[in-house]
Amino acid sequence: MTKDQIFEVIKKNVLYVLPDLPAEAIRVEESLKDLGANSVDRMDIVMESMEALQLKIPLTHLAQVKNIQGLVDLFYEACHVRV
Amino acid sequence: MNTRVVVTGVGVVSSVGTNADKFTQALRDGKSGIGFLQNAQNSAVPVRIGAEIRSFQFEALLQSLPSLPPEVVAKARQCARRAPFSVQCSVLSALEAWARAELHDRRPVPERIGVIVAGSNIGQNYQYTLNAKFQQAPEYLTPSYALHVFDTDHVATISEVLSVRGEGFTVGGASASGNVGIIKGYQLLQADVVDVCLVVGAVADLSPMELQAFYNIGATGGRAFDSEPEKACRPFDTQHEGFIYGQASACLVLEAAGFAQRREAPILAELLGGAIVLDGNRSSDPNEEGEARAMQKALQKAGEAAEAVDYINAHGTSTPAGDIAELRAIRRVFQEHTARIWINSTKGLVGHCLYSAGVVEAAATIVQLCEGFVHPNANLQEPCDTGFRFAGLSACPAGSRIALSNSFGFGGINTSIVLARGVTHE
Repeated sequence: MTKDQIFEVIKKNVLYVLPDLPAEAIRVEESLKDLGANSVDRMDIVMESMEALQLKIPLTHLAQVKNIQGLVDLFYEACHVRV
Repeated sequence: MNTRVVVTGVGVVSSVGTNADKFTQALRDGKSGIGFLQNAQNSAVPVRIGAEIRSFQFEALLQSLPSLPPEVVAKARQCARRAPFSVQCSVLSALEAWARAELHDRRPVPERIGVIVAGSNIGQNYQYTLNAKFQQAPEYLTPSYALHVFDTDHVATISEVLSVRGEGFTVGGASASGNVGIIKGYQLLQADVVDVCLVVGAVADLSPMELQAFYNIGATGGRAFDSEPEKACRPFDTQHEGFIYGQASACLVLEAAGFAQRREAPILAELLGGAIVLDGNRSSDPNEEGEARAMQKALQKAGEAAEAVDYINAHGTSTPAGDIAELRAIRRVFQEHTARIWINSTKGLVGHCLYSAGVVEAAATIVQLCEGFVHPNANLQEPCDTGFRFAGLSACPAGSRIALSNSFGFGGINTSIVLARGVTHE
């Protein structure tokens, strides 16, 4: 699983939760909050993405995540640890 | 202060019609929403008959609502698109009632609008469905469940969609929840807490567990007519054998009469009064004395004598003990007038909608009062008691002015409300 593939999974779930968002607005440097996701939306996006990627990451690890890039990196790392 | 309370809007999402116009036409036509449950063949639960809202599509129904500003529709989509089925139905019925009451054009300040949702443990099937996944991988449980687990998610979602900022809460009263909600709305208006109150009856989204429990307690019907579902629900007929589950959400907009008149709102009916009385009984058995007391107290609150009533929308679940007790209670209250007062049960057509039944049946009562008819009593071929004026097998013109609507719940919760066509005496 590449970082690009992980980003596509996250993007798909952002659009699922925030369907009115234009797809091109979802970039790695953006934060989910700035894209308009409230706290529950953000957790829904994270959880749906983790499920799609079959990852089980303690939620405390999310505290350090600042933007979508941070989420991609966290998921990428977890994928590799698992492998 | 005795504030008069009127009904200015009605919304319905039901098995026989997904808006109030279709619902009214279905009542007139005697159309039944009862059929085989869609998942019956795959289920071990012996309840196979019910009145489901079939082919439900939130987005399509949202688009079909008349005369709502685009920003309200967009807000509803944003708030409820991923919400459980029962929440989506509550939003739709609330939006329809809101639109019909013309509240978006001439709206009160948000702080003077209230919302009451009737029902408890509303989303049982949603929880049941999540539980199967939870058993496999609890980590992936959807975080939104922490919001949806509360029945007040219905209140919260409606309040966000319609910017309601007055008082809001849920009420429970088992199968009488709807009438409890209507009576609490009436009291909020009388207490001058709000000018407008939306009362929403929520779809009872039962899981296989609740269906099995109702079967095991002996409350459900559908045995003798297991191959003819449309005949299974037969309130007041000698072959009645238990209730048939139904799905519907309905909403009434209750409003202080003076406020409604000042904003020139459409006035469909007046809510003259209502009463909730307990039997002091935790079980499921109906009680003639308690039911009579609810009707008497409702009439007393309404300031109307028994002989003023033209029509009774009965609780009439098609359960032998319940139907018989209710007719005896009606005879006790109305005596010789029973020969003149129309009686029907909306449950014969839409099944027993449990939490929302009171609101659905108040909506049915109001449209019959407004349009001058009584809807049929489905499958009533041989009444289980005599001396009553039951509506027949097809709709009949009726110029009823004052109506009573009964709802009785497990745990000895008896309720009755009194409605009048349009606005009565000043």
